[in-house]
Amino acid sequence: MPHAAVDTVTLTIDGHHLTVPKGTLVIEAARQAGVMVPHFCYHPKLKPDANCRMCLVEVEKMPKLQTACSTPVAEGMVVRTATTVVNEAHKSVLEFILANHPLDCPVCDQGGRCDLQDFSHQYTPTTSRFIEVKRVFPKEYFSPLIETQMNRCVQCLRCVRYCDEVMDVKALAPSGRGTMTEIKSFLHHELDCEFCGGCVQICPVGAITSRLSMYEYRPWMLKRADTVCTYCGDGCQITIQTKDNQLVEVMSAQGAGRNNGDLCARGFFGYHVSTHPDRLRHPLIRRDGVLVQATWEEALELVAETAVRLKLAHGPNAFAGLIAARCTNEDLYLFQKFMRLAIGTNHLDSSARYGQINGVRALRRVQGTHRWTVTFEDIVSADALLLVGTNITETNPITGLKVKEAVKKRQATLLTIDSLEPAVGAISNIANLSSHHFSVHPDRFKPAVLGLIKAVVEDGHVDPTLAQRAPAYLQTISDSVQDLSWPAIEAATGGTPESFREAARTFARSARAVILIGQGVLRTADGYGLATTLLDLLLLTGQHGRPGCGLAPLAEENNDQGAVEMGAVAEYLPGPGDLSDPAARSRVAQLWKEDLPQEPGLTLMPMLERARAGALKAMFIVGENPVGSLPLSAKAKEALQSLEFLACQELFLTETAQLAHVVLPACSYAEKDGTFTNTEGHVQAVRHAIDPIGESRPDWEIFSALSVLMGYPLEYGDAKEILKEIRSLIPDYGRLGPAPTPMRPATEAVDGYLHTGYATDAADRYALSGTGHEARGAGNDGHLTLLIAQSLFHSGKLSTRSKGLLQVQAEGSLTLNPADAARLGLADRDQVRVTNNLGAMTTTVMLAERVPKGLVLFPEHFDQEARRLLTVSTDPVTQVPYYKLTQVTIERL
Amino acid sequence: MLKEKYKAEIDEILSRYPVRRSALLPLLYLAQQEEGYVSEPAMKEIASILRLTPPQVYETVTFYTMFNLKPIGRFHIQVCKSLMCALVGSDPLIGWLEAKLDVKPGDTTKDGLFTLSKVECLGACGTGPMMQINSDYYERLTEEKVDRILADLKRDGTSTLKSGPFMWPEPAQRA
Repeated sequence: MPHAAVDTVTLTIDGHHLTVPKGTLVIEAARQAGVMVPHFCYHPKLKPDANCRMCLVEVEKMPKLQTACSTPVAEGMVVRTATTVVNEAHKSVLEFILANHPLDCPVCDQGGRCDLQDFSHQYTPTTSRFIEVKRVFPKEYFSPLIETQMNRCVQCLRCVRYCDEVMDVKALAPSGRGTMTEIKSFLHHELDCEFCGGCVQICPVGAITSRLSMYEYRPWMLKRADTVCTYCGDGCQITIQTKDNQLVEVMSAQGAGRNNGDLCARGFFGYHVSTHPDRLRHPLIRRDGVLVQATWEEALELVAETAVRLKLAHGPNAFAGLIAARCTNEDLYLFQKFMRLAIGTNHLDSSARYGQINGVRALRRVQGTHRWTVTFEDIVSADALLLVGTNITETNPITGLKVKEAVKKRQATLLTIDSLEPAVGAISNIANLSSHHFSVHPDRFKPAVLGLIKAVVEDGHVDPTLAQRAPAYLQTISDSVQDLSWPAIEAATGGTPESFREAARTFARSARAVILIGQGVLRTADGYGLATTLLDLLLLTGQHGRPGCGLAPLAEENNDQGAVEMGAVAEYLPGPGDLSDPAARSRVAQLWKEDLPQEPGLTLMPMLERARAGALKAMFIVGENPVGSLPLSAKAKEALQSLEFLACQELFLTETAQLAHVVLPACSYAEKDGTFTNTEGHVQAVRHAIDPIGESRPDWEIFSALSVLMGYPLEYGDAKEILKEIRSLIPDYGRLGPAPTPMRPATEAVDGYLHTGYATDAADRYALSGTGHEARGAGNDGHLTLLIAQSLFHSGKLSTRSKGLLQVQAEGSLTLNPADAARLGLADRDQVRVTNNLGAMTTTVMLAERVPKGLVLFPEHFDQEARRLLTVSTDPVTQVPYYKLTQVTIERL
Repeated sequence: MLKEKYKAEIDEILSRYPVRRSALLPLLYLAQQEEGYVSEPAMKEIASILRLTPPQVYETVTFYTMFNLKPIGRFHIQVCKSLMCALVGSDPLIGWLEAKLDVKPGDTTKDGLFTLSKVECLGACGTGPMMQINSDYYERLTEEKVDRILADLKRDGTSTLKSGPFMWPEPAQRA
């Protein structure tokens, strides 16, 4: 972020005069002048280490050659990078490296894109003065996904530094010293880490490579497509590299996209889903109770005919539609248009309903925006960051990197309210970087937030202008929090009044404050209310509306945000505009040249209820899997079985698709074009990397074909044409630029909230009751709280078809605190039975110090059995189904 | 567990440094003192005390030659092989030790008594060839002297021929 005027320095590099900001390193200044200084250990993301000595340059008036990577520019400096002396130095460094580097380029996966190859080509004479035998490291198995060839290592330590400085994982150790330094993990143990692939990407030679694509290609054979990852809301730009329509590898170029070239395990190693052998390749039609292969014509005609017939018989509101927020904006837009026009109903919803909608609704209510008012850059340059209910490393790893950068490189203060405890483990833990950590049970985030607000109010951190702007609002909230007692807050959260006061002081005094909320808030009872209350916190401290400040709900799926903006949820039209808002309706109706259905739409849970009651006759389900996602007690299967007709568009024959009458094979993100909108509201292009698998077609094309057959043609030539129509409704989609401009809060909306809007539920939001803080004696009566959580290595159920990710995590296990395990007489890897009044499951246990006492975690990706134990409650306002928490007892088998 | 046995020492070591991880080397020494080498559980425990990851501790252990990564004998014989000692005969001396003990440098005798290592300069260049056994120096070595030292150690666990680690000024009583 640009801060006030920056001092600049003027210098000369190889005859180019240039002016750069003070503090710039010579190597970077040279790059700007178009001069490439050769280097191995330097990387713009890392602190200079100057260990490889490759970047030596001549600086006038300095007696010796200087390392360009660690020398900052100075006024009047004259740098020469191409003199004989410099050349000789570079040659010597290369000669030393090549004294040991094996000449196995023909079998090296890096061959053709290797810095050492390139520099050798540029500098080295064909002879070497070294006659010694090259060093040979004994080959050791390194890890299932990452391979090391230490004989090739140039010992630049970029991998080790990346693992520490950027990822905060610290899983790599340079063991030994001198020439014999070898990158290892811990003794002879195999690598256990986040598997972000950063070491593979940052290695300048072929010392660290991916095992997933080992020996499968030569880099110049690969076809590249820049697209966007689908495994979380961060929206990382990835380059998918393919050979003969096979996915070979994924990488992300340094500086690319919102992720700046960084990826996580899902992005780097999870790409094989698209070519999984179980992909549906042909349409399926149910005949005599069995799904059998059919042609597209048969299948589409059957769907269209049945839809027309049922619509005539039961009316459009006997239909409902459900779509996954993994689809492109174009798919989502056409889906809702298809449902609203071709079918004629507002009964449509998307997986944004599982949580994202809570954040969007709270933002719209308080500040009139549907997106963040901050960007990733604002997170990096924040002074204070408050994370509530988010294990950000595992759910949104790249947003997590922004937080790490803010804390580690820019000394931001991190405040965290989450269930995990700080503890060093194989994967990084954001709580370790926190200076004010409140470790509270997942159902008690609310009392912790109220504690912060109480401290803000009592210690005079309230914005003085608020008293004039909204006296009644301030009075109400002040009274409410003063009515809360510190002992009650302490009992619920374990945080002392002093700890809340200190945290509140740090937060309120920071000029740039960002609050990030994750699934712990958005997918847990009261999520909508708590998101609203966190906006109150920003309003109270006066940080609301200030540039660089705001509330940022983290999207779980890649296009959760797009699903809402495309109007693929019951309550919104594209924009999003409220379905009930006449202005929004007429705008959409004008463009569509058709009236919109009147009746308010059903959301996911009422939809299923209505289906169970027999009032819904037909459903279109696109990429969503309610049968596989919701707890058994939600009776999704019974609901879908009660339908007269179910059509699914899917990649795989999921639990839901198995119930369908027609299953249409859809393209995965790797096979289609379009756009995704990431968690910060940034619209990015998705490009196909491979041809469609089998006969699969993009989802939008299927809606379009159906609409034609149903006599309501919604015809588009390609995804771009749909985007054009989206742009005419939503101007934000006009630019697919490199950086988004954040939205500003709408003043009328904020005033409306401050004057009347807050009052509707203020009493509930500021009451401690109903937050589960009542004495429950976690652990004492043998009961533990089970939290179904997301794991770093998976995303929903989709990634469980990725062979790479399955090698890191192939099954679910119950993670619990060692103290709880000791109390229950359990050791790591023991088999246990987990029981509550709804059912039982068996699984293995894993011990982890970061799981607090009284809590056990189970990954949602493998929750087929765990879903038996869960109940569902629905948010009274946003109708988000909450089912992530339950009470269980555990016994050893 | 080090933490149980040496709680006071560990607390004292930690209290010396404003940055926690700075206590790494002293804690590793403590671990080595206890077991003769730095074991895997010790590295893990030290990592957890210092809030480091085990690989971070491991990389430090491997950098310094004075930490042993595998168990050693009761007497760790470190013979100086640097230039000064080499000029006055450290090579034959090492050969003599290898023959007497029937081990190669880096190995431990079968009875677990002696581990032989070759090390860089120990700062006793005026009195070479020399070696250090555990924390004691033995200087101006000859083959007979070495035989006597080994016999003493086997018999008594100590030897009167040691000159102690402090070399300068030379004690007056010694000839």
